[in-house]
This record gives sequence, structure tokens and C-alpha cells, in this order.
Amino acid sequence: MQKYLLFVDKVSTTVGQAFSFLIIVLTLHVSWEVFSRYVLDSPRAWAFDVMIMLYGTLFMMAGAYTLAQNSHVRGDVIYGFFSPRAQAILDLTLYLLFFVPGVTALVWAGYTFASESWAINEHSNITSEGPPVYPFKTVIPVAGALLLVQGIVEMIRCVICIKNGEWPSRKEDIREVDVDKLKEMVHVKDGDIEKLDKFVLRQEAGK
Amino acid sequence: MKLRKELWFGFSLIALIMIPVIVFTPWTHLTNGNLGLLMLALICVCIMFGFPTAFTLMGMGVMFGWLYYRSVDPALANRQVLDLFVQRTYGVMSNDVLIAIPLFLFMGYLVERAKLIDRLFHSLHLATARVPGALAVATIVTCSIFATATGIVGACVTLMGLLALPAMLKAGYNIKVAAGAITAGGCLGILIPPSVLLIVYGAVAGVSVVQLYAGAFLPGFMLAGLYIGYIIILAKLRPDLMPPLKASERHVELPAFAKALAPQGSNAFTGLVRSLVSGSDARVARRTALGQLLVSLLPALFVVTLLGVTWRVATAPEVVNSTAGLIEAGGLIAAPASERELNTGLIGGTEPEEKDAGISEPPADASKAAAPDAKPAAAASIAVAGERLPTPTWMWITIAVGMAILAVIYALWSWVRLEVFRMLLTSFFPLALLILAVLGSIVFGLSTPSEAAAIGAFGGFILAGAYRFIEHARQDRKGGVGGSAWKTVAELGTILKESSFLTAKTSAMVCWLFVGSGIFSAAFALLGGQEVIEKWVLSLDMTPVQFMILAQCIIFILGWPLEWTEIIIIFMPIFLPLLPHFHIDPLFFGLLVALNLQTAFLSPPVAMAAFYLKGVSPPHVTLNQIFAGMMPFMGIQVIALALLYAFPDIGLWLPRVLYK
Repeated sequence: MQKYLLFVDKVSTTVGQAFSFLIIVLTLHVSWEVFSRYVLDSPRAWAFDVMIMLYGTLFMMAGAYTLAQNSHVRGDVIYGFFSPRAQAILDLTLYLLFFVPGVTALVWAGYTFASESWAINEHSNITSEGPPVYPFKTVIPVAGALLLVQGIVEMIRCVICIKNGEWPSRKEDIREVDVDKLKEMVHVKDGDIEKLDKFVLRQEAGK
Repeated sequence: MKLRKELWFGFSLIALIMIPVIVFTPWTHLTNGNLGLLMLALICVCIMFGFPTAFTLMGMGVMFGWLYYRSVDPALANRQVLDLFVQRTYGVMSNDVLIAIPLFLFMGYLVERAKLIDRLFHSLHLATARVPGALAVATIVTCSIFATATGIVGACVTLMGLLALPAMLKAGYNIKVAAGAITAGGCLGILIPPSVLLIVYGAVAGVSVVQLYAGAFLPGFMLAGLYIGYIIILAKLRPDLMPPLKASERHVELPAFAKALAPQGSNAFTGLVRSLVSGSDARVARRTALGQLLVSLLPALFVVTLLGVTWRVATAPEVVNSTAGLIEAGGLIAAPASERELNTGLIGGTEPEEKDAGISEPPADASKAAAPDAKPAAAASIAVAGERLPTPTWMWITIAVGMAILAVIYALWSWVRLEVFRMLLTSFFPLALLILAVLGSIVFGLSTPSEAAAIGAFGGFILAGAYRFIEHARQDRKGGVGGSAWKTVAELGTILKESSFLTAKTSAMVCWLFVGSGIFSAAFALLGGQEVIEKWVLSLDMTPVQFMILAQCIIFILGWPLEWTEIIIIFMPIFLPLLPHFHIDPLFFGLLVALNLQTAFLSPPVAMAAFYLKGVSPPHVTLNQIFAGMMPFMGIQVIALALLYAFPDIGLWLPRVLYK
């Protein structure tokens, strides 16, 4: 079972990471646009549309990736103090109550939304000859479907946790605040921090 | 079952919300307004249960939206709620304000990975060495600039915990003061633009991000200034908490050329000029001396450029039709270096006697530097007088002050200071320049926030590349430039990859929250929950002041259990429609909220900053000590909030000057 769960994680992560490189494209695109407008005096009409599409695709496609890494923002008032089993029961209930209806609605609505756009061969109306919009709208059902699959995996994780009393493992990914990496960055070792303790103790004694 | 006290706290909060709702809801004949309020209460409770908030909002929004449409026309309910949902989602995907979020995040991650923070802290530490509470002041300055550029509170606090805490403890600083300075400084990044919080608020409230940035600028620096002022005063009053630095901690290692020239005179500026003029000095190569002289001239260049630009702006109405005048005005900016010297010398000759009275350097030095220049200076001022444009008096005062500052700078320009300046030049100024360029182009209307963010991200990439290259080049001198360049490119690959992944995750986190809240707030508005709240608040018949205080208190309390993203995205839409009733500017409200949420980061029991610091501090530093250290800084934040409230011009002056 764990093998399948990790496989789905891997798919979500790979897709999310692949689309995350759009931020580099977006940076270069906008930088070049600013340069060509001010310096070359030749702005491109479709620049704004592309900018929007890059950004929208980036964050939508990263939704499942973020869920696979458990990085969606949670209000941590009491959750953190529960036992893993209680956490899993709570999570599973709320997945069934909110996540499944919400994301299913997103996929369903996104599907009709995108198919209508395909049907009329919709183009952006921000400029007179705007780029096609239907691929961008297709992102909604695709991202939603990925999210739904990842959500099912998370629910299975909850079930496993209810059975075993501990959360099944995940694959480590890069974190925003990775203390070990930060320590390495400023060349501080654990031993150095231990050594500092004598200053703390001296100060305590001095009181 | 024995419950922990945190659980008690949580459960009583939930009970506090649910009991009145259950008691007061007329269950037998529910109106849509009741449903709306029920929805609001349920979301508060569900958020506390710790389920990813974006999906809670999504599910609840879809359900309650469906309930509303069913009450209108059951046949169309499914269709309508789905349409609403997808329209709202698409609205978030094509929101031109939110684009700036991933770009600023990307910039932050890149700047963080340039790994310049230890240089930054080290050079600021030496630069502030003589100030009371030097290390704490350096910590605040480092934090404010680093946190501003990166916007990542956790990383900033952790890094400063690794760098500044050891330094402060070794220097005998009180643990509480040290912890307070680090945590308070680390949180400044939320407020000082370019901050993501202000973009999110701008997107929610429909306030121009440009104006928010211009508005948050002064309050942000006011807060940093208040922190520094508090530390300096505390260090003066209680030297036992922050003993002055020992000579060994202040010592600046001089480079070879400085050591060679130092015995001839303590002033680096005159020393370099003398070495260049005599030319016979074999110990120092002409190239080195010239290079150092140019570095020394940078402050002069900066001040003169600034004055020149100010002068141009000040005299602009007079010269608006005269092209010749414009060229002359520009001529001053591009004036040859010699003339700048003269200006410096002119004031330097007359003023240093009084200015230098309290300073250890012998004043004779300054007048000696200025003396040779005094005569030509007079000639120059006559030349300027002949073609002078009408210049307001304040401009002359500004010029005099600027020149006086320059004179003082050069009078005190010792070898040690030159070296510290060079260190700042490679750490502090590039970062400051990046931030100012990004902010400047936004605030002066050269580019939109998203464009400036993209340029900033590009600048961050170049910054990371440059710093990594310098680092590699320093490490392997033998490998040659090619080797270091290759290593840098390889490392930049990793940096880009990591930064992209983190950007994707964090922006997905924020933007999916917007997707969820899009349908949620639509359903809330459809059900009329907003109206019920509005009616209720208006029936309380509050004065605007009372309303403001109430709103800020509620936001402050929400800041304990919730993250700022949730507070702004979910709860701001409830407050915002009330503002016009009380004639409150949403821009001003946004500034207060930003300042307020900063406080929430520092208030126990869930102050994130404290936990980050605890994670990297020595085992005997307790959380209570860190909390105790944060308290005075929290007090300062409340004072800053009161100041901003009492004098709204602190925040509103700059946007008004720039945009009206």
C-alpha cells in the first residue's frame, strides 16, 4: 500500500515541481517585457495575457504538490496537541465533509467551463488579437483532478494512521525553514551551540 | 482523560463561539441571514480543528452557496453554484495583483540563498561598534534589511539566532534582551515593503498596492527606529544588560595598503591623496590608492547626486520652459569630481570646529584637509552665483546640511572606517540598493508591483550569482576564474531549483486560500450574512474611534490562533464593507492591520518567532526567557500602533505627496 501512496505523491510532486519552473519563465518574461518597453520601445501586446497564464498555471498545478508535502496552511490551535490517531479521525471526517464535495465541484465545474471555452475557440479579449484562453481554462479541471487523487491518497493515509496509531511516512522535500541547511549556511555546528550554554549558565548564576 | 492546558484553551474558544450560536439560532425557521452567521461560526471552529483552511472554505462555500440557490430555485441550484465557483476560481487565476506574490517570494528565496547574511551582520556589527548596545542595534538593522528583502520570518529569525545570539551571549548581553532583539527584528519583514502581506491586503481590499507600499514605508522604519532607540536608551541606563564591546570585538583587520599608509596620518582620505600626489611611495601601488580613493569618494558622490536631484526638483517650475536651465541644472549633477571636492572643502573649512567638538578625532585634521581647497572654492561659488536659478531658502539649508554631513564624514574618515565602509559596500549596500530599486520603481510609478517584483527576482538572481562567485573565488585561489565560475553555475542551478520549488509551494498555499475564500465569501454575501453583521454593528452606534479600536482588538485576538494569510483573506472582507460607514480610509486601515498583525507574531502563546529562535538556541535558554524578552518590543509595537492612529500622516503623508 505504502508503495502506491508514495507513487501518487511522486506524481503530484513531479508535476508540481515541473510547473514550478514557470516562475523562472515568468521572471524572465516580465523582465524582458519591461526592458523592451522602456529601452527598445517595443512592448508586446500579448505580454500581459501570458503573464497571467504563467502565474495562474503555476499556482494551480502546484496545489496537489503542496498537499502531498502537507504544506497547505492549517490553523494550529489544538490540532498539534492531539494524538496522531485523533488527528487522523478529525482529518478524515473533514476530508469527507469538505474536501471531497469542494474539489469534486471544482473538477466538475472546471470541466464544463473549459469545454465551453474549447467549443467556441475562445481567445483573450484583453487585446484585439489575444492568445487562446482554452488551454489556460483547462488547467482548472486538470489541477482539480490531480488534487482529488492526492486527496484520496491523504484519506488512505488517515485510515492507515487510525489503524496503526502513527502517520505513515512521506518523502522529504525542500522546506522553507530547514534548520540544518541554515546552520550549514552560516557555518554553525551543534557543538558550537552547546558550548554557548556556559555563557547562559554563567548569567543564570550571576543573578 | 487529562487534557493539556493548550487543549483546554482551544476547546473553550470553540465553546465560546458555538454556544451562543447554538442558543441564539432560531433552528425552527432559519432565514438566509441566520445561515450566513452559522457559516461564519462554523468556519471559525473548523479552522481551529486544523484541517487545511483552503479546502474547508471550498467545501463550506459550495455547500452554503448551494443552500442559497436552492432557496431561490431548486432546479437551477447545482448549475448556478458550480458556475459561481468556477468564475471565482478563474478570477483568482487571472488576478493581476496576485501575480506579484510568487515573484516576490521567488526574489526572497533567491536573496536568502545568496548567503550574505553573515557578512551583513559582521559589517554592521563593526559599523555600529561604538553605539551603546551595538550588537543588538546591528541585529535589528540586519534583520530589517534582510527580512525586508526576503520576507521570510522563520529563516530570518533562525539565521539571526545562529549568528547574533552567540555573538551577543559571548559579549555578555542579557539573554532576554538578545532574544527580544532577534525576534522583534525578524518580524519587521512583514511590515516593511515589499511585503507579501500588503499585496494580499491590496488584493482583498481593492486598495492600490502602490499606495500601500508608499504608506507602509514610514511606519515600518518608524518601528525599526523605535526598536533601536529603545535599545540605545536601555543600554545607556543599564550597561549591565548590554556591556560595551571589548576592544578585541571591535577590532578591524586593516588591509596591507592601509597598514603601510596608516603611520603617516590617521585620516584615510588625506593619506590616500598624499600617497597619490607624492607618487614616490613604493609601498602602495598607485592603482590601489586610486581605487581606494574612488571608494572613499562614493559618499560624496551620493550626497551630491541627491542634492542635485533635489535641487532640480525644487527649481523645476522656474525652468520648466527653458531647456538651457534644465541642462544647467543637470550640469551640477554631472559636475567634475574636482568641483565636488571644493564644495566639501568650503563647508569643511568653516564648520568642523563646532561640529567636531564632541568627537575624538583632532579637529586640526579636518581644517588641514580643507585648507588647500579654500581659495578655489570661493571662485567656484562666484561662478555658480552668476547663473543661479531662484532657489528656495530651504534648499540652501539642505545643501548646507548635506555639505556639513560630508565634511564630518571626511573629517572622521579614518583607515578603520574606510575598511568598515568597504565591508558595508559588499554586503549592506547591494541589498539596500535592490530593495530601494524595487520599491522606488513601484512608488514612483515606473512599473507595476508585479513588474518590479520580476525585476527584483532577476536582481536577486544576479545578487546570488555574484556572491556565490566571490565566495568560490575566495576559497580556491588556485583554481582560477574558470573553476570558480563553473562551481558558481552549478550552485546557481541548485539555488534556482530550490527557490522555484519553494515558490511554487508557498504561492500555492496563499493562492489556493484565495480560491477557497472566493466561493466562501460569495456564498456569505449571497446569504446576506454581511448585511446582518453590518446592521448589528451599526445598531451599536459606535463612534469611528470605538469601531477602530474594536476592529483592531478583534484582529489582534484572531492573530493568536490564526496565520495572517487566513485573517486577511477570510476576515478582512467582513470588516471592509463597514469602513465607509465610519469614514475610514481602507488604505489607513490596511496600514494599521499590517502593524497589528506584526504584534500578533510576537505575542504568546503562539508567537512563531519565539519557537524558531528556541530551535537554535543553547539548551538552557528557555521559552519563557524568550517570551519575556519579546514583551518590551511588543509594547513598542502597541506604542507605534497608537502613534500611527494618533498621527495618521505618518502613513498617509507619503502616498498623498506622491499621488495627489
